[in-house]
Amino acid sequence: MNHKLELRNVIKTFNSEEGKIKALEDINLNVKPNEFLCIIGPSGCGKTTLLRLIAGLEHPSSGEIVLDGKEVKGPSPDRGMVFQDFSLFPWRTVLKNVEFGLENLGVKDRREIAERYIELVGLKGFENCYPYELSGGMKQRVAIARALAMDPSILLMDEPFGSVDAQTRNVLQEELLEIWKRTKKTVLFVTHSVDEAVYLGDRVAVMSARPGRIIECMDINIARPRKRTSVEANEIREMLLIRLGLESQRIR
Amino acid sequence: MRRRTIASLIAIVAIAVAVLLVGCVEEDAKMTTINMGHQPSTHQVAAILAAEKGWWEEDLSKFGIEEVKLHLFPSGPPEMHAMLAGDLDVAYVGTAPPIAAIYEGLDAKIVAGVQTQGSAIIIRPELADDYEREGPASLKGKTIATYPPGSIQYTVLSKWLLDHGIDPEKDVVIKAMGPSDAASAIGAELVDVVFLPSPHPAIIEKAGNGKIVEWSGNISPNHACCCLVASGEMMREHPDIVEQIIKTHKNATEYAIEHPDEAAEIFAQWHGADVSTITYSMNITDMHWIHDPHLEIESSLEYAMVIYELNKERYEAKGIEPLREEDIFDTNFYDEIMA
Amino acid sequence: MKTLARTKEKGLWLAPLLTALILWELAARYVIKNPAILPRFSDVIFSFYMLREDIILDILVSLLHFGIGLTLAFSVALPLAIGMGWFRNVFKAVDPIVEILRPIPPLAWIPIAMVWFHLTHYAAGFIIFLGAFFPILIASYTGFRDVPKVLVETGKVLGCIGDKNLIKYVAFPYALPSVATGTRVGMGVGWMCVVAAEMFGVSKNGLGFRLFNEFYWLHQMDYVVAYMLILGLVALCLDRLFRHFVEDKLFKWKKGMVK
Repeated sequence: MNHKLELRNVIKTFNSEEGKIKALEDINLNVKPNEFLCIIGPSGCGKTTLLRLIAGLEHPSSGEIVLDGKEVKGPSPDRGMVFQDFSLFPWRTVLKNVEFGLENLGVKDRREIAERYIELVGLKGFENCYPYELSGGMKQRVAIARALAMDPSILLMDEPFGSVDAQTRNVLQEELLEIWKRTKKTVLFVTHSVDEAVYLGDRVAVMSARPGRIIECMDINIARPRKRTSVEANEIREMLLIRLGLESQRIR
Repeated sequence: MRRRTIASLIAIVAIAVAVLLVGCVEEDAKMTTINMGHQPSTHQVAAILAAEKGWWEEDLSKFGIEEVKLHLFPSGPPEMHAMLAGDLDVAYVGTAPPIAAIYEGLDAKIVAGVQTQGSAIIIRPELADDYEREGPASLKGKTIATYPPGSIQYTVLSKWLLDHGIDPEKDVVIKAMGPSDAASAIGAELVDVVFLPSPHPAIIEKAGNGKIVEWSGNISPNHACCCLVASGEMMREHPDIVEQIIKTHKNATEYAIEHPDEAAEIFAQWHGADVSTITYSMNITDMHWIHDPHLEIESSLEYAMVIYELNKERYEAKGIEPLREEDIFDTNFYDEIMA
Repeated sequence: MKTLARTKEKGLWLAPLLTALILWELAARYVIKNPAILPRFSDVIFSFYMLREDIILDILVSLLHFGIGLTLAFSVALPLAIGMGWFRNVFKAVDPIVEILRPIPPLAWIPIAMVWFHLTHYAAGFIIFLGAFFPILIASYTGFRDVPKVLVETGKVLGCIGDKNLIKYVAFPYALPSVATGTRVGMGVGWMCVVAAEMFGVSKNGLGFRLFNEFYWLHQMDYVVAYMLILGLVALCLDRLFRHFVEDKLFKWKKGMVK
């Protein structure tokens, strides 16, 4: 089977004042097309670094990152990224934010495309609002629309719902699943929350403490739409928590 | 807690106010210091000569004066401004600045003469040839720097231009400047001509930056230049001190006339100039050191009219009349001494 | 009821101002009694009438000097700020020079201004340039330097690649309010240099020239104060106009960011 995304023997070391820090060690990961893959791990394990390598914002110290059969060289719209917060351009309206990437590509009918995605994330009517007028949840929706408008090959999300309150978070999760169903994108979702990973993902990759390795990839075979508090969900959640708890102990 | 904060704030404010007021405390009726203003021109060498020889303190000690402080000013207007503020008791200054200040309410009078003539027109060396051929007419279209309108220099300069058929408004560009600005302006070739009092003409010529072409004595013979001004308060409260100051000034003036080389040395020492340049200046200048205020009355009244014309609108609106002799001069002290 | 409260708020500045003016007039008339030490407010008002023929020309000449200086300051400061704010090496290379020159008071540059630009309007403009330049530079490069990393990276992942594009589409819009603030401060400082700039005989007109070389020398203190007030009022107008036409438009979006 052709994988959407392959990481082969990826290692990342940083130079810092204390010397060399190995953030990621020997990462091997295959992501299937249309898959929703969640990545969890203890604080500082390098899950954000991993995402940034895939996005092209950092370069691996060794190893390859291959998307659609081609090696990843630098940032590009074919890897869309949604950051946790403050990523909207505050001087641009919602519409202009979503159009931003399309402007860079010189797309002619960018307005219609942008309006389509704004409607997709449920913000029709807010096109001419500025980010400061929106709530945290609405801002993240715009960020998602903006990334999707570029029709990326893969969507990378770095704790996108980490800054919103719990209720908004649940609503956004459901909306994200809707959008994922409709656009059939491949999604890589980094999160701190085991609950979130279990609710959203087809698979969950568990990372170790630094230097980060992938120690387990757990399939979540629960049918959708999922119930957050089902027995199966609780079982998997408990397994993951134990796995995570062991790793967290190692840091202390 | 709150009361303590308020109490300490009040204490701080009180201390600050007290510190500020310390400077404002007026001296008691007994006067022990004389504040004398002067300028760095050889016109006023009598002031520093008497200071150098200690004559000021010597002659005034019998009145209880312990110190005579000399205050140096670059030009007349700031000096008169200080006198207006009450900071000077007597001043060596050109006759025009006190006249301008008296129009604006300065309580002071000219009590003695100091010097007449003594300013020169200096042109850039490159213009010397044209000037030899055509005379002052060669200066049409050129830039001239001198003291501002109302000053003696500006008045005499205007007269010279008009005498030679040059319109000061239309045929030349006159830039008003302070004395040191004007002196450096010709050196930096920012202007073509300057009209300045001694010793600047000699200094500029010696530095190779200009050529002297006319002395003010030829333009306006015996025109008044520097004088000695006393504040109204001094004249009313301490007339004996004023009289003695004039006496000492007279002695210093006569000494300078007798010993010009020594005067040049003292000037060079006080103002950091080159002695040979100052001696050269004294040789070529047409200034006369004097002490009789009567010699300055006529031309001073002329200056008073010139200044009146310059500010006619303002003075008329305020009901200020052209100054007469008694508004400017008080020759009684001098007449007493000479009697 | 509501209109009364609104009027009270709007008129809040009026009462202290009137009180100050009345105190001034009374002090000048009955306490100081010397117009050379403290001219009367009424005389100062009358001065505006007496000087009516010269005022407009003087204001225009001073604005000319101000315009020269400000335009020059902005044109030099902005590109330099982009370089210093965006490129760390440029900052390290240039900042020491900037920090040495910055504390030198514009007045100290007068002798140099005279020999470089002679007695022209540009000499005066140069002094004003020196006053306006540093506030504009520093506020601007701070704006460019403080562009949040997340915005730059968002730009990159959305296809905005290369320093030129990132500066144009991400850094510049972000830094624009800082540039505006710096310009406004620079305008204030630059205008304060007008008197210094016009002191040394560059022209026969200008608020600073007339104040220093005419009114001061002739001890016409009521004219001095009148021109001081004009200097202040013109500065106020420039500031308010700038705020209305430039800053209010640019600062809309900053509202949500600074809490």
